[in-house]
Amino acid sequence: MKSRSISTFSFLSLVPMAILLSCILLISFTDDFRQQREQMVRRQLQARGITDSRTIEAMRNTERHRFVPAGQQRFAYEDRPLPIGHGQTISQPYIVAYMTQIIEPKSHYRVLEIGTGSGYHAAVLSEIVDEVFTIEIIEALGKQADEVIDRLGYDNIHVKTADGYYGWEEHAPFDAIVVTAAAEYIPPPLVEQLKEGGKMIIPVGSPFRVQQLMLVEKKDGRITTRNLMPVRFVPFRRADN
Amino acid sequence: MIKYPKKPGFEPRLLLALGLHSVAIIAYQLVLMQMLSFIQWHHFAYMIISIAMLGFGASGTLVVIARKWFIKRAGWLIPMLMIISGLAMAVTFPISRQEIIQFDLYILFTEIRQFPRLAANYVLFFLPFFFGALAIGLIFIIHAKKIGVYYFSNLAGSGIGGILVLLMLSYFYPQQAFPLIALLPVISGVIIYSKKYKKAQIALTGISVAISILFFIRPPDITISEYKSLSNTMTLPDAEVIYSEPSIYGVIDVVSSPAIRYAPGVSLAFDKDVPVKPSVFLNGNMYGAIPKHDDSAKYNIHDYTTMALPYIMNDRDSVLVLKASTGTAISHALNNEADHTDGAIENKAVINLLKNEFAGKSNNLFHHPKINIIHQESRAFLNENHGKRSYNHIVLPLLDAFGGTAGLNALHEEYALTLEAFQLMWDMLKPNGVITISSWMDYPPRTTLKIFSTLCELAKNNNIDNAHKHIVAIRSWGTITFAIKKTPVNFIETQKIRRFSDEKFFDPVILPDIQPHERTKYNVMEDTSFFDYIDEIMFTDRTDIYHDYGFHIKPATDDKPYFSQFMRLRSVRYLAEVFGPAQMPFLELGYLIVLMTFIQSFVLALLFIIVPLFFLRRTGRGKLPTLLYFGALGLGYMFVEIILIQRFILFFGHPIFAITAVISTMLLSSGAGSYFSSKINDVTKSASKVNLIIAGILLLYAVGLTPILEATIGSHDILKIIVALIFIALPAFFMGMPFPLGIKHLSKSNESHIGWAWGINGSVSVIATSLAMLIAVEGGFRIVITVALISYLLAFGAMKLYKRIIV
Repeated sequence: MKSRSISTFSFLSLVPMAILLSCILLISFTDDFRQQREQMVRRQLQARGITDSRTIEAMRNTERHRFVPAGQQRFAYEDRPLPIGHGQTISQPYIVAYMTQIIEPKSHYRVLEIGTGSGYHAAVLSEIVDEVFTIEIIEALGKQADEVIDRLGYDNIHVKTADGYYGWEEHAPFDAIVVTAAAEYIPPPLVEQLKEGGKMIIPVGSPFRVQQLMLVEKKDGRITTRNLMPVRFVPFRRADN
Repeated sequence: MIKYPKKPGFEPRLLLALGLHSVAIIAYQLVLMQMLSFIQWHHFAYMIISIAMLGFGASGTLVVIARKWFIKRAGWLIPMLMIISGLAMAVTFPISRQEIIQFDLYILFTEIRQFPRLAANYVLFFLPFFFGALAIGLIFIIHAKKIGVYYFSNLAGSGIGGILVLLMLSYFYPQQAFPLIALLPVISGVIIYSKKYKKAQIALTGISVAISILFFIRPPDITISEYKSLSNTMTLPDAEVIYSEPSIYGVIDVVSSPAIRYAPGVSLAFDKDVPVKPSVFLNGNMYGAIPKHDDSAKYNIHDYTTMALPYIMNDRDSVLVLKASTGTAISHALNNEADHTDGAIENKAVINLLKNEFAGKSNNLFHHPKINIIHQESRAFLNENHGKRSYNHIVLPLLDAFGGTAGLNALHEEYALTLEAFQLMWDMLKPNGVITISSWMDYPPRTTLKIFSTLCELAKNNNIDNAHKHIVAIRSWGTITFAIKKTPVNFIETQKIRRFSDEKFFDPVILPDIQPHERTKYNVMEDTSFFDYIDEIMFTDRTDIYHDYGFHIKPATDDKPYFSQFMRLRSVRYLAEVFGPAQMPFLELGYLIVLMTFIQSFVLALLFIIVPLFFLRRTGRGKLPTLLYFGALGLGYMFVEIILIQRFILFFGHPIFAITAVISTMLLSSGAGSYFSSKINDVTKSASKVNLIIAGILLLYAVGLTPILEATIGSHDILKIIVALIFIALPAFFMGMPFPLGIKHLSKSNESHIGWAWGINGSVSVIATSLAMLIAVEGGFRIVITVALISYLLAFGAMKLYKRIIV
């Protein structure tokens, strides 16, 4: 009887200790991620020419590690894309920031995103604009992203699992369209749903390598594209290479 | 029942078992190659198999270290090893599919946990080769004096194995072929069963057979890389494989989904619905969309792409579509009122599919009266019809993939895109004819620049000084199409191109009177150096840019037929600095994998096979000549095999037939040579002579093989087969002799070296395959054949060295 009460006492005393330890760990991890995010902003974004203050603030506030698979969390703030399953990736932070900055988002904007993926880019956009409509074609990813977005309390993001080809006609036109997973063609309905003067940004290239970004602009009945360079220009021609 | 080593003489049952066992090893290797190419990419297969094949070398090492132990137990050990290798063949692939060690080559350089998985795959696939080779090595050691006959059995079995695989893959999926092949070594073991440990042998046989049957009936689930196009497509809503078929060309799947659409680089002015089409996949890679052809259609989706360029310039009544795949370009030609269109398709299974099962889906396109589908590889078609047919439009397919292929095709021989192939096309053009070729815009520009330099060199070779008046190009947001015309492009044509570009939001890149501002009217490029490179290629002698540019952009030739190979060794470091090392693989994975394979197989062979044995005391004198002789033979044999495969791909027109013909003919003929060598008594002298004869043949081949093959390439099939048999079998017959003669020599002079010799030969053969590829890419086939020749001279020298050291 005595020994049982001792062990019960010991066990009970362990509980608050465990809670305390967990809290300390949680705080230290949270702090750690916050620090990493701050470093990411400084080293990967500002150092490479991301200057838009709203974009920087959004990148600073959005907890990227919450959007990646558990096994990848420790790499969440590294300067690279990460696999999220189904052959898809969460883009490199710099690409997300660059794509966000280039559409010049304003607080009253309504943005359409094609390819929700992890939901991270939608979250970044939602920190700046009024409403984000995001469409994911892969059901499992769409569901997963919706859950994360819900859990984190982003109430201005609307997720739909559907074929992004058709856009989201009920909420069109959009001030900007962000296509995160480019296809071999640009769907005519998306061009149609882009506001006059609006901007559409599309990455071109394998997700794991240096991507070219393409900006599509609609003005005066003309549609033009601009191949943007998220990396510094480099001469591919060198006599001494 | 065999007793060793008391009866080392001729043993028919052992010969049969050895032959059957050899059939299995080569068949397993080839099916594994096919399977790994399907679930991943062929580079993965290449990496895994090169390491697995070191099992041959490792078995030699083990035999040298514990020679007496092995020889004493050879009677029961050989059948047991055969059965174990069969068991390993049956179980290794299913084990490799387990979640914990499933590996993905595509993210090897981005996900660290892929490395231990890769290592686990190496170990796993090493086992069947190791046990199998150990059995063979032991037979060779015990029967060293009769090696010629046993080596014959080994080579002949391997030759038959190559043919067997071709038949097998026509009827079975690779995952079903493994258990069938696994039964062969088990049968071999049963043929030579030993009374000793009989129960163990029976038990192992029973287990192996039961597992093989189980995996044949219920093959493991195949999960292909999630980064392959088939996997990506299967994630689309309601995606469904509506047809699947094994074939000698690879596994063919047809997938349908309401979200699969086909409109590569379609104009932003296109405001209609992008058509939904089922797609054909070959080994998990996108092969083509099935077009629903409609003669009365108001437009074809290609009319809204840059690929419409030739049709807006002029009428095209006779068209040749090379690499026609599923016929989208054929349908485009028909909609542009071509009276006659020839389409060359190398894949018979796809032709059958579109002529039969999917004829309805394509509205009987392949039965259309105005088209003629030819089952032939494009280059072979050009060779055979040179001077016989003419066209006013020859179209090549859209090159590269959207977003790039990560250089996965870098080391594929592509004889339809060499300068010689373009010359054949040029010769087949009618006076106002054009050749067109399109590509996705790439960054850094490589494919686009190589296409353009090829067209400029073609113009130069045909005495056209003003190439800018014969070549035009237009660019959309994603693609570029080049056209080269036999006669100068006229004013009316340039005006049509300009008007079309305006309507479709495209930009002309090359026109006889192009103005700089026109090039970026609709599609602005922040980095405009692409245009500078284009102008430099057009208006200079190109020597500087070929030399200085960070990638290979000099045209591919028949001697270096690697159109998609752009990486150059000397710029690797620079590109790594620019893009970061992690992104290097995605610039060109193929080349890096071969480089990595070479380095790892070289280091492993050196560390675990060659060096340990070199320092082993009991191996006695003459280590250097043994290393040189058997190393040179391993290198020489593989180099000749690779040269012949490359030359005969061009000759036969399809890699599968060329590989089968060369490997099987070489092995069978070498087997005959080996058998012949068993009759020779003066071993040392003959070994020297034979190596000299081989070097002599190779010298003649270096000079005369290509012209002879070129002269007969358009001949009747029977004549071509005879030519192939003669030119493959001749050197191979002699090349089958030096190895058994060398072993026989060792059996007289230093028997303890035999296992080592077997190990060295096996290891160097593995290293040689990747080395030959690297040399072919950097220096061309002429250098490869020169190295092969030097290897046989080295073997000749090593035999002389033996005499000085030992005799």
